Amino acid sequence: MLALLKRYRELILVAVLLLFPLAVFFAHAKGPGELTRVDRAVLAVTAPLERLVGAAVTGTLDAWRGYVALRGAHERALELWRENRDLKLERQELLQERTENDRLRRLLSLGEGEPRRSYVGARVVGVRLGPAGLQLVTIDKGADDGLSRAMPVVVAEGVVGRVHATSAHAADVLLAIDRNSSIAVRVERTRARANVRGLGRPDQCRLDYALRSEDVIEGDLLVTSGTDAVFPAGLPVGRATRLQRVGHGLFQDGAVLPTVDPTRLEEVLVITSGARDPEQLPAAVGPGVGR
Amino acid sequence: MKPLALALAALLLAALQAALLRHVGGGAFSLCLLAPLVVHLALGAGNVDGAVGAAAVGFVLDVTSGTVKGLLTSLAVALFLAARLLGAAVDVRGRVGFAVLSGAGALGLSAGAVALQRAVALPEVQPGWALLPRMIVEALLTGLAAPLVQLGLRRLDALFGAEEPDLIR
Repeated sequence: MLALLKRYRELILVAVLLLFPLAVFFAHAKGPGELTRVDRAVLAVTAPLERLVGAAVTGTLDAWRGYVALRGAHERALELWRENRDLKLERQELLQERTENDRLRRLLSLGEGEPRRSYVGARVVGVRLGPAGLQLVTIDKGADDGLSRAMPVVVAEGVVGRVHATSAHAADVLLAIDRNSSIAVRVERTRARANVRGLGRPDQCRLDYALRSEDVIEGDLLVTSGTDAVFPAGLPVGRATRLQRVGHGLFQDGAVLPTVDPTRLEEVLVITSGARDPEQLPAAVGPGVGR
Repeated sequence: MKPLALALAALLLAALQAALLRHVGGGAFSLCLLAPLVVHLALGAGNVDGAVGAAAVGFVLDVTSGTVKGLLTSLAVALFLAARLLGAAVDVRGRVGFAVLSGAGALGLSAGAVALQRAVALPEVQPGWALLPRMIVEALLTGLAAPLVQLGLRRLDALFGAEEPDLIR
C-alpha cells in the first residue's frame, strides 16, 4: 500500500489539489461566505500595490509629457507652435481640473443635501470587473476611516454599490451591476416597487419583481426605495428599458440602464451613518455566491 | 524561497492588473494576467511544484476576484494539467504559442467559472452566457499581454537559477 502511495504520490497530490478545492467550492457555493483574515491580508497587500502602480502610471505619463515638451524647447523655429501647444496642454489640464472640481462639487452638494448623513470621500484605485468573479472596485479608504461592510457607496449620479470587504486603509466595493446585488427601488414617477439586479455587465441590469399591473414605461427613473436596509431612499439607480409583458406570470420583464457608469468612476462617497450590522441584513442583500 | 516569490508575483500581477484597468478602460474590458503565470508553470515547472504553484495562483485569483473559495483554485490546477498535456504534445514554447495558450487558458478559466457557478448558484444570481463576448475580449487581451508576463517570469526564473526550458527540454 505504502509502495503504491509512493509510486503514485505525484498523481495523488495533483488529484487532491484539483478535487479538494472543487469540494470546498461545492460545499460553500450556496451559503454566503465570511471574509477570512487571509482575504483581508490579500486586500491589505494588493491595495497599496495598486496605488503604487497607479502612481507609477501617472508618473510615467507626466514624465513622457515633460520629455516631449523639453524636446520642443530646443527648436527655436517652432517656438510659437510650442507655446501654442503648451497653452493647449495647460488648457486641457485646467479643463480636467475643472471637470474634477465639478465632480467633487456635485459630490459635496450631495453630501450637503442630506446633513443628517455622514460621508467619507474616497478615490477608486483598482477595478476588478472580470466575467468570472464579482464586480468590484477598490477604494483608498478602509476600516481606519470608519468604513465597514455593507455601507452604501454613491456618486452624484446615483448608486455605485456597497462596501464588500475592508482592510485598514482600503476597501472593496461590490458594484450594483454585480449578479449578487439586488437593490429595492421605486419608479420615481408612479412610486411602483421593483428590484434592480445586476447581470455582471457594466452596461445593463435587470428589472426584477415589477408587477405586470404596475405603470412602468421606457425611460422611467428608478430610485432606491430605502426598504432593503442598505441604501437610503431616493438615490437614482437606473432607467427602465426594454419592458415586456409576456402572456402569463405576475411580473413584467425589463432591463435597466444604470445611471452610474462603473467604468468611469474616479471618486465616490461612502455613506457611513445609518449603516446596519451586516449580520442583521436580510438574506436578499447578502451575496448568494460570495466570499 | 521560490514559492514565496511566485505568490508575490501573483499578488503583484493581480494588483498591476487592477491598477492598469483602472487607468485603461476603467473596467470596460478585463484581463487575466494570472493565466499566463499558470501556463508558464505548466511549461516549465515540475509536476508537484507546478501543481502546488498553480493552486496558489488560483487561490490568489479566488481572493482577488471575490469568487467562492476553491472555484478558481481548482480551475487553475485544471488549466495547469491541460496546458501541461498540450505542451507535451505540441510545441508551445515560442511567444506566439505561449500567447495563444494563455488566451485559451483565460477563456477556459472564465468559461469554467461561469459553468460551475451556473451549476450551483441560485437561479437569480446565475451568471449568463451573455458574458461570452466579455470572456473572448478578456482572452484576446490576455493573449496579447502574455509575452510580457512571460518575459518577467523568465527573469524571475533566472533569478532563482531555473533552467531555461527552451534549451534543456
